[in-house]
Amino acid sequence: MTRAAIASNPPSTARTDPGGLRPGQRAFVWGSLIPIFLYLSIFALFPMIWVVVLSFFNYSPVRVGDGLLGLGGRNPFVGLGNFIAMFDSTQTAQLFRTAVRNTVTFASLVMIANLAITLPLAVLVESAHDRVKGLFRAIYFLPTVSSAVAVAIMWGYVFHPQQGLLNNFIKLIGLTPPKAWLTDPSAVFFGVPLAMIAVIIAYVWQDFGYNLVIFIAALQGIPHDIRDAAQIDGASGWQEFWRITLPLLQPTLLLVCTLTMISSFQVFVIFQVMTNGGPQNQTRSLTMDIYENAFRYQAMGWAAAMSLMLFAMVLIVTLVQFRLLRTDWEY
Amino acid sequence: MATVQLANSSPIPRRSRHPLTRSAVYAVLLIGLAVTLLPFIWILMTSLKPASEIVRIPPTFFPEQWTFNSYQTIFNDPKVPLARFYLNSLLVSVGRVVITLFTSSLAGYIFAKFAFRGKNVLFGFILVQLMIPFQVVMIPAYLILVQLRLIDSLWGLVIPSMIDAFGIFLMRQFISTFPNDLIDAARIDGASEFGVYARVVMPNLGAPLATLGIFTFMATWNDYLWPLIVITTHEKRTLPLLLTWYTSQHGQRYDLTMAASILVLLPILVAYIFFQRWIVRGIALTGMK
Repeated sequence: MTRAAIASNPPSTARTDPGGLRPGQRAFVWGSLIPIFLYLSIFALFPMIWVVVLSFFNYSPVRVGDGLLGLGGRNPFVGLGNFIAMFDSTQTAQLFRTAVRNTVTFASLVMIANLAITLPLAVLVESAHDRVKGLFRAIYFLPTVSSAVAVAIMWGYVFHPQQGLLNNFIKLIGLTPPKAWLTDPSAVFFGVPLAMIAVIIAYVWQDFGYNLVIFIAALQGIPHDIRDAAQIDGASGWQEFWRITLPLLQPTLLLVCTLTMISSFQVFVIFQVMTNGGPQNQTRSLTMDIYENAFRYQAMGWAAAMSLMLFAMVLIVTLVQFRLLRTDWEY
Repeated sequence: MATVQLANSSPIPRRSRHPLTRSAVYAVLLIGLAVTLLPFIWILMTSLKPASEIVRIPPTFFPEQWTFNSYQTIFNDPKVPLARFYLNSLLVSVGRVVITLFTSSLAGYIFAKFAFRGKNVLFGFILVQLMIPFQVVMIPAYLILVQLRLIDSLWGLVIPSMIDAFGIFLMRQFISTFPNDLIDAARIDGASEFGVYARVVMPNLGAPLATLGIFTFMATWNDYLWPLIVITTHEKRTLPLLLTWYTSQHGQRYDLTMAASILVLLPILVAYIFFQRWIVRGIALTGMK
């Protein structure tokens, strides 16, 4: 093929002809994609299938089953047994339901607290002088890059009843601090255990930078003429925020809610390291329950069923977002 | 004439310019700053106090007596070969970054610039991958690692995550806007298909590669759950694992545990100072979490 012929038939714009790869391109495309997807079928597709299969078995890696992948025999097929057992009155099932409740409480409160902080803060950062705007944003983002383990240990100490920063600050402003943030099961505020509130505070502190940055970017995306027009029409600051900014931020808001909710479902470290699920399982999260059952008690069939419940929770939130995200306007 | 004057003097009232409002804005922003930074400063100060000062009630904020004792104790602890743990974390993080950047940009380029049968199905699989939380597949992932005899090996932290669905997705988005003319010109000049990718596309991906690289590095450096499952030998621990182990050994010695936390936090905070622009831009661009 001559150069002229290649030029008259640009290969990279071959979209009109699906499957129309030249031999050299075919070798490159499939030579790259086949290893990549072989790899993905082992490390991504296979685990997805296997976790579903595992959830139908009473599987433990310490027992040797006689079938494929150690299933069958002493790791018997139990059908939907693991899922039905979730509604039992056994201690394990009760613990699982507690963990689900805790996780939903945690994720919902984190989402509310996070939005209540990040959205107004983003508006304030945006209204700051250009020269310091970047500095504020950079420092607010600092906790999100920090190691979650270090953050959990750090906040565990901040919540220390006698030596902790928080209780001493509360004393300083003349209030009575709680006698224990992380270990007193009887301390409950509006139905939420104090230890849970402490974990939420620490997690929101670590995580708020993400949403802040997303909101700032979204605010910068709102055309100035819309706000200028509102100001010419005599809108007050509040009116501008509620009637202009907030409605225009709606798609971002929804995305941020979903992402925050989904990532909060998956939080593990701060629970494990800061409270280890205590006191009396008040902060035991679903991820902790999955981890302990799978890797401490080796009850992997049961843990696989639980992790599918986690997936169902993520899926529900995602689907709700897709349903709500039907905006047919643009600016 | 009137319009020119209008444009110059800007009759639109700028409420944020009101001095009282402006100082209120900065007051709130500074409170936020204090809340963000105080815990860091607090544990740094704690790590620089002698053990006797820490248990005092009410506690001091700044040390009355500055000391590096806690750091010296950690450095001299024969059970804490710090260099080893830094190296473990560094090897795993750099290894993953290099491999992820290569596979993501290669697959991203192919999905962005080639038309072939099965493309939508394959890319759809990548998108589905994005939705699966790690905890959902961690049990099978562990069992696969057992089969591959990679448990308790640093390879076990790299090999299962050499291809990143998010990375492929991100790269595809960026490369879609890459001019086809440049690719065609390189082909006409006789470059091989891989040559086009390696010498034309890749060198122009500075910003997205930097963003993806930093995110991958930080995620790996800070990762806890997967190393917790995979690593069992003390010498093979990564820094977050070392930190929880060290805390379990010295629970009440807050000077030591806070110093250890600082040692784990420091490298990533320093890296952040250098790369903060890319990180913030990357999030704004992708909306990732």
